[in-house]
Amino acid sequence: METLVQLQGVSKFYPRVHRPRERLRAFASLMTGKQVLEGAEVLSDINLEITRGQSFGIIGENGAGKSTLLKVLTGVISPSRGSVQVNARVAALLELGAGFQPEFSGIDNVRMKAALLGMTTSQLDDQIDQILAFADIGEYVYEPVKHYSSGMVVRLGFAVVAASDPELLITDEVLAVGDESFQKKCIRWIESFLERGNTLLMVSHSMYIVQKLCRQALWLHEGRSRELGDVFPVTQSYLAYHEERSASERLQRRSLRGDGGLYQVSDFSLPGDSGDKDRSITYGENLEAELVLESPDGQAPVALFGVMRADGTPVYGVASDFDEITPERLDDTHFRFRICFDSLPLLPGSYSIRGHAMDPQGIRLCDTAELRFTVAGESREMGILRLPHTWKSSG
Amino acid sequence: MNLFTNNVFRQLVSRAVRTDYLENLTGFAWLILQPLILLAVYAFVFTTIFKARIPEAGPGGFVPYLAIAFWPWTAFSEAVLRSSNTISANAALIGKVAFPSELLPLSAVTATFLMNMLGYLAVLLVLQLMGAPIHWLGLIAALPVIVLLYLFASGLALFISALQVFIRDVSQILPPLMTFWFFTTPILYSSSILPEQFATLMKFNPMSWYVERLRDFLLLGNYQISPWDLVVPVITVLLFVAALKFFRKFSVHFEDFL
Repeated sequence: METLVQLQGVSKFYPRVHRPRERLRAFASLMTGKQVLEGAEVLSDINLEITRGQSFGIIGENGAGKSTLLKVLTGVISPSRGSVQVNARVAALLELGAGFQPEFSGIDNVRMKAALLGMTTSQLDDQIDQILAFADIGEYVYEPVKHYSSGMVVRLGFAVVAASDPELLITDEVLAVGDESFQKKCIRWIESFLERGNTLLMVSHSMYIVQKLCRQALWLHEGRSRELGDVFPVTQSYLAYHEERSASERLQRRSLRGDGGLYQVSDFSLPGDSGDKDRSITYGENLEAELVLESPDGQAPVALFGVMRADGTPVYGVASDFDEITPERLDDTHFRFRICFDSLPLLPGSYSIRGHAMDPQGIRLCDTAELRFTVAGESREMGILRLPHTWKSSG
Repeated sequence: MNLFTNNVFRQLVSRAVRTDYLENLTGFAWLILQPLILLAVYAFVFTTIFKARIPEAGPGGFVPYLAIAFWPWTAFSEAVLRSSNTISANAALIGKVAFPSELLPLSAVTATFLMNMLGYLAVLLVLQLMGAPIHWLGLIAALPVIVLLYLFASGLALFISALQVFIRDVSQILPPLMTFWFFTTPILYSSSILPEQFATLMKFNPMSWYVERLRDFLLLGNYQISPWDLVVPVITVLLFVAALKFFRKFSVHFEDFL
């Protein structure tokens, strides 16, 4: 496979240059050839290799360094450390109307943008009708760009990029600005672009678009590469991270219930657990759970199982007394409950399961234990769980 | 210059010509009018009030003597001033698109020279009609001088525009410096009327070589050149090469400072 992009140990520091004195000091250290390694570190030690035909999504929170990474890749900025090699005809759409001058008409800006993308005048003349058709903004092309809506700017920008026939397309979160039909047009174009064997590198906050267009993903977290690999596991753990973050915010507000009654959880496990790592099952597999409750008075307590998404959204709960289950008595005071969720319909993602100890009447909740598990797999279905369904054909 | 740079450069120059001169109605007229008015003011002050006598002004008198030096100076000083903040003014472009950023100051200089040289030709024509003996053959000799002046302005533009990114004060310091330079260059006067020690000092000002050579060629028809005439061209070329090196060394860091 031909390598188009190679990043090795790339780090980027922004020197502190707000006050004149800081600027002067930073400039002086440049003059003497010293590397500026103080200031804000936006990227640290990024390694990335992209071969021809790959489609790569870059995801991460705001301020994680995604746009800076794209700027390094397009050569707009040079890294403070590390090396960048790009061997392809690159077209980048980094920001709304980059290189567009508001005073000039759309058509003038198309000329400038085309020149910046490496198109010659004759190439542009051949393509201009196509560009205008793709942008589809009518007579507005003769108006100054300052009168455009942001969607129109993106339309024009994307149309030129599409016409410039790149080998590697780099886009930041720009498509989000266009309306539905234009977004679909762009996605269709990118799909056919990829089918022709070209390479894509995109930043997006929409996991839907990333999963639809990309096969690999890089999760940037605070300037570092946190996870790199196939798009599904990476996007899933990114989403799980967000769910857990909002869950931990919620937990601070509402501590776990359980009023320390008589009946206690003495053991809770998911058989098949691999040591200290969370249990991972494949989408559609069975999930088994085993809960041992301690009952000091020797009466059989009631067990309650609850499944939640990692952010705490309840999915399903069931208690042993609903189904009139008698537990297995291990000794005078211990009772074991085993449950199996057959072909678990949960969609890939991060979840947790709770085992609760309740009094023998099933009224008071006495104790809670929680375990986390992940469902792995590739699926574009949305939501929490798969609803059984069949498609009816009309004929 | 490869095809890509060439295309971008052409676009930038046409853009600069349009925004600075053609887009506003007065732009083009102003290009001719402003130096004409200044020229008239200087001519009035120096010939009528101060009664300046320039021995070698030639048969045309003071006005053509002044005009022939004044336009190239205007082109030069306007080019340097205009280009000095091109990098910060185009911060948005530099932060988003990868292209050789030296094209920004260079295109500003090129646009200014193109437009001012059109004005220069018009002024030469007017002078001729007013009866000043313009040596049109001298244009052939003047052309390389003007090209060198363009190179000189480009070198300064590269150096100053890069420096301006790091030291913002450059934009404030530059205009008075250019005014100072204007009065220390023999444009309103001839270096021959200066006391000996000042005349020697003035030899170190490359601009005096430029304006005096242009006067020699276009007004006096004096085409003699000596080995000394190589000094300023060599300095100009060296300055340009050094400025380009300086610019390229620091252009990779522009984005951090903008």
